[in-house]
Amino acid sequence: MNLLDMILQMAEGSKVTLEIFFVTLILALPLGMLASLARLSSCRPLSFLMEFYIWLMRGTPLMLQLLFVYFALPMIGIMLPDLAAALLAFTLNYAAYFAEIFRSGIQAVPKGQYEAAKTLGMSYTQTMRRIILPQVIRIVLPPISNETINLVKDTSLIYILAMNDLLRVARTIVQRDFDMMPFLVAAVFYLLMTFVLTWGFKRLEVRYGRYAK
Amino acid sequence: MKRGEVLAIIGPSGSGKSTLLRCLNKLETIDSGTILVEGKALVRTGADGKAEYVDSEAEKEALSHMGMVFQQFNLFPHMTVIENLIEAPVQVQGLKKADILPYARELLQKVGLSDREDYYPSQLSGGQQQRVAIARALCMKPDIMLFDEPTSALDPELTGEVLKTMRELAAEHMTMVVVTHEMAFAREAASHVIFMADGNIVEENNPGEFFGNPQEERTKAFLKNML
Repeated sequence: MNLLDMILQMAEGSKVTLEIFFVTLILALPLGMLASLARLSSCRPLSFLMEFYIWLMRGTPLMLQLLFVYFALPMIGIMLPDLAAALLAFTLNYAAYFAEIFRSGIQAVPKGQYEAAKTLGMSYTQTMRRIILPQVIRIVLPPISNETINLVKDTSLIYILAMNDLLRVARTIVQRDFDMMPFLVAAVFYLLMTFVLTWGFKRLEVRYGRYAK
Repeated sequence: MKRGEVLAIIGPSGSGKSTLLRCLNKLETIDSGTILVEGKALVRTGADGKAEYVDSEAEKEALSHMGMVFQQFNLFPHMTVIENLIEAPVQVQGLKKADILPYARELLQKVGLSDREDYYPSQLSGGQQQRVAIARALCMKPDIMLFDEPTSALDPELTGEVLKTMRELAAEHMTMVVVTHEMAFAREAASHVIFMADGNIVEENNPGEFFGNPQEERTKAFLKNML
């Protein structure tokens, strides 16, 4: 198999990888933000529920969660298409991690910021939207960047669901041709993706960090 | 307190000065007692002995009369100086930027920071930050200004510029409640002094009498240490 064909096939596999990556990110970030607010809520049952959810998601392997959604849910009558099943597991898992990152970010904003906003007459919503969250974004960018890069690599776990993502395509070619080259090409693909992310987050950090000394 | 009065609250650390001040604008809630702002209740205690706060509309109204300046400035770090000033007028009072900007600039000029309006708080000295914080509170046009140890986080040489701004405010007959360790300020700028110890108001007088002829032993001991 020539290199060009190999790259084209693996580009095809990258589509699945990128689809999982982007959809998970787009769903898990707002979900994680809401979960962190619920986790910090003064409503005890809500806060406890979120703590349980986060414990469950962080306390078990993502691989197990994927298998559960894919194999166990159908046994109780919930059948999801392959892609939807994978997205459900990824989103729930990453939302839990993001929730904890956002929580630490929110808690890192000094109490005085809330007090200043309050004495100026700002409502809870105004305070969160205008004062707290912009500061939280700056604080959480580095850990979010970390998790996001992890997500690129974690997408490779869907090979157990028989979906043709980048790594599975590479493995298929390796097993068929006894040629190790596809693994190298796959590595380059992953590196390219994480390179773009690293660069993007660096720019975001500069943008949101401009007010700090 | 009467309109235009400057009340200085002094006393040793942990005596409840800041707590008293923070009760006024509900940063702390009270269990019993009554607080009236501009003649209207913020909280009052009924026959059952439990403090009851007014409904949220009336509370908002009462609190809108007061502006506060904190020991740690608490400026919004992600906003420039001018953005700090106009944030609440725009968000809370619903004013247009263009309508509040001239007043905000006027206030910056008053605190001597006209040339710093596009700076971020982290680019300013402590004294400058505190003056911005005073301007920010004034931008909401409060009737009463609360100061919670406004110079305690500042180097001695930066304290003067903040006190100067506060003296100017007092001279304009702004009603002020100032928790402070600055005895000179209390003596010169205050119209009334309260001395607190262990959560109680021990002595209360005009500054001349208070500093010249203190009545209580506790006050005498405190002043002897401070002066």
